[in-house]
Amino acid sequence: MDDHKKLYIKNAIYLTVLTVLEVGVSYLEISQMGQIVLLLAFAATKMMLVAMIYMHLRYETKALKRILFVPIPAGILFTVALMYDIPFRWVV
Amino acid sequence: MNQNQTYAIPMNDPFGKATTGKLGMWLFIIVDGLSFAGLLIAGAALRAGGAEWPQAGEILNIPLTAFNTFLLICTSFTMVMALNAIQRGDQAGLKKFLGLTMAGGLVFLGIQVWEYYHFIVHGFVITTSLYAAVFYVTTCFHGLHVASGVIYIACILWAAGQGRYSADNWDRVEILGLFWHFVDLVWILVFTVIYLI
Repeated sequence: MDDHKKLYIKNAIYLTVLTVLEVGVSYLEISQMGQIVLLLAFAATKMMLVAMIYMHLRYETKALKRILFVPIPAGILFTVALMYDIPFRWVV
Repeated sequence: MNQNQTYAIPMNDPFGKATTGKLGMWLFIIVDGLSFAGLLIAGAALRAGGAEWPQAGEILNIPLTAFNTFLLICTSFTMVMALNAIQRGDQAGLKKFLGLTMAGGLVFLGIQVWEYYHFIVHGFVITTSLYAAVFYVTTCFHGLHVASGVIYIACILWAAGQGRYSADNWDRVEILGLFWHFVDLVWILVFTVIYLI
């Protein structure tokens, strides 16, 4: 078995284990904030594994990595930053 | 200059060996990723704004969707194996793994349709609540991506059947793979935000 194939199988196993852990965390009796942080951390790890290994991003140049990793987080950050008043908007 | 004369296109250094098609797919992925981000942020904004939101698992079937997530992970594996096969010149392997990926995508869609059917039968429709609207719009948008991906795979599979790809010509298989992995990558976030949080 070539090294790439081993890596792809390992990655599929990691992704499956992380999915099982995610489902487990969703049933845990912990604070909602703790649950959200854990679930988003698991999701971010899974997304990185897919991007880096299956999409071969780790073999790409820094410029291409920046194209992906700068605009999406920046766009999300700007949108969230503009919504700081949401908890108060519905108050009449 | 003679029209038949060929000339080398200078290497685009910042992007290494990435072809124009591959760069185009990456740019599409960024734009599409922002579309999904917009939908998920809209859902989060509605929830933070006080909309009625059920607990995880109260309405949605988490074990079934966890299986669907596992299925999509498996199809990402078969897709990368299809690329791995054609990079070694294995035509049969390419067709086998593309076929498995397509089958996985179809099963994913089938489960999603079955899930929608049960919700609709029990009265949980898009107009039921803001939560229902966020659920249907986001998952349906993703489902359309899976359906597009299945059609895209069918086209590449047909071309593979014609023997168009080889160990020296697999760029289009790689570009298809990028799209399919993106569909998997986005589902990871949709599953977490819509189903688990």
